[in-house]
Amino acid sequence: MKRIPARFAVVLSASALALAACSSDSATEPETEATTDGPVTVQLLTHDSFALSEDVIAEFEDTSGIDIELVSGGDAGSMVAGAILAAGAPTADVMFGVDNTLITRALDEGVFEPYTSPEAESLRPDLADQTFDGLVTPIDFGDVCINIDDTWFEAEGIAPPTTLEDLADPTYSGLLVVQDPGTSSPGLAFLLSTVARYGDEWPDYWQRLKDNDVAVAGSWSDAYYGDFTFGGGGDRPIVVSYATSPPAEIVYAEGEPPETVSTSSMDDGCYRQIEYAGILAGSDNVEAAQQVVDWLLSVPVQEDIPLNMFVFPARADIPLPEVFTEFAGQVEDPEQLPADYVAENVEGLLTEWGSVMGR
Amino acid sequence: MVPALFLLAFLAIPLASLGREIISPGTAGYLLDPLPWRVAGLAAGQALVSTALALAIGLPMANVLTRYRFPGRRWALALATVPFVLPTVVVALAFRALLGGSLGSGFAIVVLAHAYLNLAVVVRIVGARWVTIDPRMELTARSLGAGPWTAFRTVTLSALRPAIASAAAIVFVFSFTSLGVVLLIGDSSTRTLESLVLRQTSILLDFQAAAVSAAIQAVVVGSVLVWAARQRALQRGGSARPMRSIRPHGRARWAVGAVAVVAAVIVLAPVLALVWASLRSSSGWTLAWWSGLFGPNTIDAGSTRIGSPLSAMARSLIFALATGLVAALVGGLAAVSVLTGRIGRAFAIATALPLGISAATLGLGTLLAYGRPPLDLRATGLLVPIAHALIAVPLVVAVATPTLRATDPRLVTVAANLGARPTRAWWTGYGPAMRTVMVAAGGLACAVSLGEFGAASFLARADGPTVPLVIARLLGRPGEASFGVAAALAVVLVIMTTTLVAAVDRGGRRT
Repeated sequence: MKRIPARFAVVLSASALALAACSSDSATEPETEATTDGPVTVQLLTHDSFALSEDVIAEFEDTSGIDIELVSGGDAGSMVAGAILAAGAPTADVMFGVDNTLITRALDEGVFEPYTSPEAESLRPDLADQTFDGLVTPIDFGDVCINIDDTWFEAEGIAPPTTLEDLADPTYSGLLVVQDPGTSSPGLAFLLSTVARYGDEWPDYWQRLKDNDVAVAGSWSDAYYGDFTFGGGGDRPIVVSYATSPPAEIVYAEGEPPETVSTSSMDDGCYRQIEYAGILAGSDNVEAAQQVVDWLLSVPVQEDIPLNMFVFPARADIPLPEVFTEFAGQVEDPEQLPADYVAENVEGLLTEWGSVMGR
Repeated sequence: MVPALFLLAFLAIPLASLGREIISPGTAGYLLDPLPWRVAGLAAGQALVSTALALAIGLPMANVLTRYRFPGRRWALALATVPFVLPTVVVALAFRALLGGSLGSGFAIVVLAHAYLNLAVVVRIVGARWVTIDPRMELTARSLGAGPWTAFRTVTLSALRPAIASAAAIVFVFSFTSLGVVLLIGDSSTRTLESLVLRQTSILLDFQAAAVSAAIQAVVVGSVLVWAARQRALQRGGSARPMRSIRPHGRARWAVGAVAVVAAVIVLAPVLALVWASLRSSSGWTLAWWSGLFGPNTIDAGSTRIGSPLSAMARSLIFALATGLVAALVGGLAAVSVLTGRIGRAFAIATALPLGISAATLGLGTLLAYGRPPLDLRATGLLVPIAHALIAVPLVVAVATPTLRATDPRLVTVAANLGARPTRAWWTGYGPAMRTVMVAAGGLACAVSLGEFGAASFLARADGPTVPLVIARLLGRPGEASFGVAAALAVVLVIMTTTLVAAVDRGGRRT
């Protein structure tokens, strides 16, 4: 199962340490600390959607002598809220999964302890400078995109929409379902993408969507499984979801993976969410925590990320799985807003969205 | 006092830890913001309608299920607890599947879902009292010339009123503080302070505003609970012992049958929709989702994505039993203290406060108090059952108090006069009632734990999820298998609940 029995783990890591001690006398090896008080446990605070392969975690625990304890913080927002409230006396050593809509507040409250991983040299060029003065490390990113039920459009003989503008076109009246940005993370990302695209004119765009009979669901599950024609019994063939939802449809199909999938991701109007990891200020295990951050950005974890969390690895040198290259939306030019702009304006944006939509 | 220490340690201290991080002199200024007040008004209206609907459906069910004898009654009673534990997201999707697009999202469907989810509260709380009312009293009233309605109203209904007030207060509070249903299928007309708190904490990160919203919610809930306690204190009378159930005959037989059938349809329809979803795929009938739970290739084996469904079931079961035990003990003692006068009554109201405190608030507070050095209790696995017990204790008190109050204290005096020692005398007087209510309450507490999501999402270990957490993880991602396995797991949750509650009921009757 997930956890190696404690006694066995001690033997394992003790022998690993003995090996390390024999093979290396480099003083920079942090294991020297571990030899004095047995295996170190690093608490890794994550959100509900975190996932890795068990053997990737076990492999790291075996070779490093560090036990990883996964600590759940609820959804991403609640996790960050908890970390801010506990700033300085944290409930874990490392936090993974704080994204670019929430990170400014966490940075302002002094949640993180600076650390630049040597692995950061391998980051994609567009993420390399996204470390907020060396306080956090980008680990993965994902795009919130419009998803389309291609089979439905084929059957109706209508060309599917390709741009944000199309969504406001009467041809697609009554076909789109979005999520309430006040309660749903992809819903907020889609709102931010329209703000990035239309600037101050964004309320006008939403007015046009409203006139075009857009449906607003409370949550991603409700929209995807309740309203979307493909996911369930819904009657709307256009939904706000992720660029990686089509490959997920293949991986989580019944029995043998099908060769193709009837949904696709629209490339226009996607909003990019970047997820970061950082060491929580006040951690007692800074050295071991640094190793965990290095590990999150190491090749084995980065290769493991796509099919576990359905997001893209932050390293430049990771080949993507075939379902990703074939069916995921490859977004060249995603919409983005500066993190501090989002932090300052999100409340106003939500209020104005509410008054436009009558919600 | 055990309950006092328990509340201090796991309610007061966590809230204080949270308060210390948040409250500042500027916080009071947020009281002038009209937003939380407007939301409170909306939520109160919604909760009133939800409560009325839950009573309208729940009272006939409570009558039939607790007073009449018919085949399968015990299972029917256990089944009536099912709506209470179904994960909200599951109920929401089932309702949408059943009612189609006709209701969409919004006020009507939210109110229906709340009434459905809280049926068990009405059936259990009112039922626990109803079994102790001697049906012969109503017959006596009839024989003295009262019509059936007058007899029912003057005898049964007036004896039930405290229990109905208890149940109504709790349904109101649950609907007023609802989160999952509101997020999933609600719209602007059904916002609650709870959803406002969530937005303020986890999107806006405006903790002071959240503290004010949470405080307004706690005050409303506290007032409702005080009102319910007053109602309970108004009346006495009736018997402490459960009456023998009646075998219905004549016209009553038809009425009982009709209510039983309608109740079964209402309770079972979403469950059947789930069973159907767990057996269907795009290519027809399939057992793939069930083998994804139990087969050699369980869903996501080898990844921490979902976690083993079987170990989640075992974990949920252990948490539920621990919760049932702790809640029945703490809640039972708290209910007893109600009998001891003014301080006891105030204390019993205090035990009900967790109802008004959001799972998120409680979860965050517990995390700050017991989730970091010097005292990190997360690894012990105790935090989830403790949080669940906190949520369940108010229900135990609500079930126990009306019945205990109805017990004639002279029984104790009589036993004492006959030479029993004080403890023995107390048990002679209150024992039978205690046993009935503790069993009803313990079952409800188990059910609370099995279905609870919010607090567990903070306090369960990421690699040790409970069944509702696993269901939520599955439903949070695309793919046929995700939905199918989630449906199968929800059916398992229904079976676990029904079995566990029926077992608790049966065990309780036997002792």
